[in-house]
Amino acid sequence: MPPEPKLQPPPGRWGSVLAWVLVLAASVFTIAAALLYERGRTADRRIVEIRAQAPEKGNFYPQRIELAAGERVRLRVRNVDTVGHGFAIPALNVGIAEIKPGEVALFDITVPEQGSEYEFFCTVWCSQDHMQMRGRLAVLPAQARR
Amino acid sequence: MFRTDRVLGLLPLDWRLELTRYPIVRQLLKSRWMPFLLLAFNLFMFTVILMAAWIGGVGAGNYNFGIMIIWILWWVVLMMILVPGLSRFWCTVCPLPLVGEWLQRLTLVGVRHDPKKGNLFAGFKKRWPKSLSNMWVMNFLFLGTTFFSAFFTTRPVGTFVLLFSIIILSIVLSVIYHKRTFCLYVCPISGFQALYSNFAMTEVRVKDPTICRDHKSKGCVVGNASGYGCPWLLLPYKFTRNTYCGMCFECFKTCEYDNMALNLRPPGTDLLVDEGRHLDEAYKAFIMLGIAVTFFVTMQGPWGFLKDWVNMATLPGYFAFIALHAAWCLVVIPAIFLAFVWWGHRRAGPCEVPLKKAYINFSYTLVPLGLAAWVAFSWGIILPNGSYLLHTLSDPFAWGWNLLGTARVPWTPVFTGLMPWLEIGTMVVGLLFALDFAYKLAVQTYREPAVVNRAVFPMLLFLTLATAGLTWLFIG
Repeated sequence: MPPEPKLQPPPGRWGSVLAWVLVLAASVFTIAAALLYERGRTADRRIVEIRAQAPEKGNFYPQRIELAAGERVRLRVRNVDTVGHGFAIPALNVGIAEIKPGEVALFDITVPEQGSEYEFFCTVWCSQDHMQMRGRLAVLPAQARR
Repeated sequence: MFRTDRVLGLLPLDWRLELTRYPIVRQLLKSRWMPFLLLAFNLFMFTVILMAAWIGGVGAGNYNFGIMIIWILWWVVLMMILVPGLSRFWCTVCPLPLVGEWLQRLTLVGVRHDPKKGNLFAGFKKRWPKSLSNMWVMNFLFLGTTFFSAFFTTRPVGTFVLLFSIIILSIVLSVIYHKRTFCLYVCPISGFQALYSNFAMTEVRVKDPTICRDHKSKGCVVGNASGYGCPWLLLPYKFTRNTYCGMCFECFKTCEYDNMALNLRPPGTDLLVDEGRHLDEAYKAFIMLGIAVTFFVTMQGPWGFLKDWVNMATLPGYFAFIALHAAWCLVVIPAIFLAFVWWGHRRAGPCEVPLKKAYINFSYTLVPLGLAAWVAFSWGIILPNGSYLLHTLSDPFAWGWNLLGTARVPWTPVFTGLMPWLEIGTMVVGLLFALDFAYKLAVQTYREPAVVNRAVFPMLLFLTLATAGLTWLFIG
């Protein structure tokens, strides 16, 4: 004779609700929380992303950035290349020796009230066209602020 | 060393430690929250992985959470710990078929059951073609994904495309076909786990077959109000090998008599189960060994032109890579292996064993050897690159976060000086197991001791040469 049957009932209605809460928390809420956290972190300034690649693969993108005078901006320089790059805007005292492949460098700046254009460029000898790896940051009137 | 009743002459093949005799383990496996809670955690991880991979785009993947967690952490843990230790435990906690399974069951942790109709499922519930009910589709799909290995493993969006494709495919097939058809016969990750889990040190088995024999309702197959009939379309009361058991633990929930056991066992015992062995599994072993070599050569080897081929630097180079890689896995390795088996077969003299049977049986010696090659390859992944994990865990989306305070940890290879020794040690252990099982399989195939000794020599030679070649490749 087999022993007495031993079965456990599955979770009830509240168990199902809890399971859904966990699934939503793990998926939708996770995405929402990440986006909200990043938004809160950068609420006081605008994010401008610059992708860095050697000139023969695409150079800085965008190569020309237009910012309004007085604007508070976080420059996010993302090295999407397979070699190291650098980034510097000497006139704004912004720079980093090297951004490794895949790495991201952040620079918080307040765009100067005066001056027309500032040059930014790569500071690592990244390729034979390294000297062409550069771009310009143009300052627009304060009224152009987003 | 060569004893047929012990692994490596040490541990009896029939030794078992039943983990489910501990009430906490038994209760855990009987609860419907297991594996759901682990799945929910992995769903969270994969949400972050997919989001990071999408945001990372086509940029270099060094600092990408998706790339790092999947190819540096998950793959290494899978090959080094999960498969050899815990069989197909990854399938237990894999969140990729979660949506597909929910579309079938329409419940996450509950059980939709009708006393007259049994478990209730949505979808078309079609049966997978019998001619494809094997590993061939998984063999070709997995080999096919390796053609794009450079894209999948170095570009974040590549990882996104791969994972998202698997999710979509699992959803579509779950709507059309019944239960875990996708996981059983299509999922490219499932195939090698299926074969290599035969070497694993854990198993799900029946405790007392007489209870199952007398129990007519067979809840483990047809399901009941406490759980679903085996989602992997197996007969749990007849489990003899790990190959197609996805360790979902439904049979623990549906068994009315607590007659299912989770056992610890000596490694490799299923390699000796002379049941369900076919050419598709032999080819899985060849393909896995071939891919391990190709990956090492193209990812960690010193030959720059091969990296250019794999990275699609030129179209002719890329096509050359595909042709050579496919030929290596599908023709060259099987042919070399056949030559050694044929040599052994000839040395055995006239016997009733067909060459095909010897070929298939001996192919299971490549499971410990192939697994060792993958573990050795994994040392070369985790030791030089593991420190990237600290950075990406702290800044998963590369937005400049520093959640754990480790975002500024520089790339720091660790213990790379030990790497050759670890690789040699791993290959030696793999060889010992391979030789041991080669002898056991020879005994199983040829039976007569004198014939066995003659037939097994070429196989022992092949395994030794293959190990020497792999070791030279890793440390040479």
